[in-house]
Amino acid sequence: MRRTIVAAFAASLALTAAPAFAQGEKIAFSVPSLGFPFFVHMQNQFNDEAAAQGVEVVNYDGQNQTTKQTADVEAAIISGVDGLIISPIDSVAMAPAVRQAVEAGVPVITIDRRVDGVDGLLGHVGADNVKGGEAQGNLIVEMFPDGATIVNLQGQPGSSPAIDRNQGVHNVLDGMSDKYPFVAEQTANFAREEGASVTEAILAGLDSPPDVIVAANDDMALGAMQVVQEQGLDIAIIGFDALPEALAAIRDGTLTATIEQMPGGQSRGALQAMIDHLRNGTQPDAVTLLTPIAITKDNIDQAERLGELN
Amino acid sequence: MKVQSNADSRARSGKGFDAVDFLARNSAPLFLLALIVVFALLEPRFMHPINLLNVMRQVSISGLIAIGMTFVILTAGIDLSVGSLVALTGLVGAYVAKGGLESRFAVNANVDAGNPVILAFLAAIAVGIAAGALQGWAVTRLRVPPFVVTLGGLTAFRGAALLFSEGGPISGFSAAYNWWGQGRIGDVPVPVIIFLAGAVIAHIVLRHTRYGLYVYAVGGNAKAAEENGLPVRLVTWSVYVIVGFTCGLASFLLSARLSSAEAVAGQGLELDVIAAVVIGGTSLFGGVGTIFGTVVGALLIGVLRNGLVLMNVSSFVQQIIIGLILVAAVALDQYAAARKRS
Repeated sequence: MRRTIVAAFAASLALTAAPAFAQGEKIAFSVPSLGFPFFVHMQNQFNDEAAAQGVEVVNYDGQNQTTKQTADVEAAIISGVDGLIISPIDSVAMAPAVRQAVEAGVPVITIDRRVDGVDGLLGHVGADNVKGGEAQGNLIVEMFPDGATIVNLQGQPGSSPAIDRNQGVHNVLDGMSDKYPFVAEQTANFAREEGASVTEAILAGLDSPPDVIVAANDDMALGAMQVVQEQGLDIAIIGFDALPEALAAIRDGTLTATIEQMPGGQSRGALQAMIDHLRNGTQPDAVTLLTPIAITKDNIDQAERLGELN
Repeated sequence: MKVQSNADSRARSGKGFDAVDFLARNSAPLFLLALIVVFALLEPRFMHPINLLNVMRQVSISGLIAIGMTFVILTAGIDLSVGSLVALTGLVGAYVAKGGLESRFAVNANVDAGNPVILAFLAAIAVGIAAGALQGWAVTRLRVPPFVVTLGGLTAFRGAALLFSEGGPISGFSAAYNWWGQGRIGDVPVPVIIFLAGAVIAHIVLRHTRYGLYVYAVGGNAKAAEENGLPVRLVTWSVYVIVGFTCGLASFLLSARLSSAEAVAGQGLELDVIAAVVIGGTSLFGGVGTIFGTVVGALLIGVLRNGLVLMNVSSFVQQIIIGLILVAAVALDQYAAARKRS
């Protein structure tokens, strides 16, 4: 009796320490910050896919500090992972660490965000934030063909998604600035309470309410929505990220639209490309870009996280 | 009863070694040692020389600032602005290195366009010193408590960094610039050498100069120091200049390490820095503490982070563990102090 228990224990140890089957590759997955539900969802989808494929995952949380994510990558290299899939916090500041991984012979796929100036990456899978911002701009043009006044709630100053999403909206609308003037542009730091307070301040300062509030993420859009509802105004509100809460608001008609970047599709795709490379030596496309789409009530069934609503 | 306890203490001192007291007094170095042993046993890769050098390099940035912070806390002050100041000084250095904002995103720097690395280095440090001098002035002349002055600095310097850089990063430096963060002398990363050299210099200043004596005296009892004719204001002002200097130096190394200076760099860094100083045994009430303790405190946090990451402990749990250890370290210190009094 005792011997069988010991044997079973030893066997389970052996299994966890070194999987005997050929599938057990160890893949490092590094995301910018698990403080954002976007990346939590991305990581969950990644781990689901990994479990289905028989791959071991080591998860790293960059805690929104490039120094922390750099340390994570260094730890992954030391741990002897078979591959690294990383969504870098910053495209430049994370380049030295990613270069270290490549030089250590670890295949690297970047996901969602890129790194600049590193040769020898296995590939990139992403949905450009600039394209997402452009999708917001295009939706505004589509909804208001005769022109509209716009309030722009920007993300945390200096962060790359904030810069890129803002860039995308401006790419589309700056050429038609007489028809689509930005009557106010303010940062609300990606935060819901600031989305509400900044919107309140902006509305108080405008002679007439705007036609559209476009926000660089759903949290700010939901904060703005709160204020717009309180004041009984009719303003189209467009968010970004397709969070479940935003999808629910779209379904219920209080939020107009959001942008779906398919974080799950990205992470599953990146993992698949990595596995194909490790098992069959397949070289994936250098860049795989999923096109972000605007989600409204009409196409809400295309949202990845609709299943989380209940 | 009384006799009994006297006999007890005699018995302890008779042995010449009080284990509990020894443990409590040297809690940080012993805990660091224990952590290293535990990680080495649980995760063999922890002891890999490359990993150990990685940890040292990761620690050197916050460690350098912690050295400066030790001076401040020794005078019973505090500086909450260091994270924001790192962002600002790093951007100024990067700006000078690039010769402006025009080529700010160019990853492969046009070396001819910018200024020599030494100018960038000096600019970062000059801004750090100026910011420290300003805060020190507010503390000593306006008599605003350091907590409040530097809390203001925390938001104001961050705002200045964002304003200065127009929100974005300044990135892509010459190889000579990057060497300061990424280069090695022998096998040892350059930031590690600077960190250790800084620690040695700071130790000598604190322990073997009149100035160091003044710092301890001001923190121990400012009033008594004043009555004994010590330049209390000047000494208090100077420690903020010192921490500003270390911020400038650290930010230069950090931007060279990452090939990028960011307005969002160093967020929350003040917590790591203060934790390192406090874990190292420096009293927040001033007058007590050593540079050696601070180095140990910084290493302890670095080793803990690295080991937990290597062992793949959930990042949420990691933050809880680090918080608990901070409190435990100070509790042990208090315990040691209480025993000493009794």
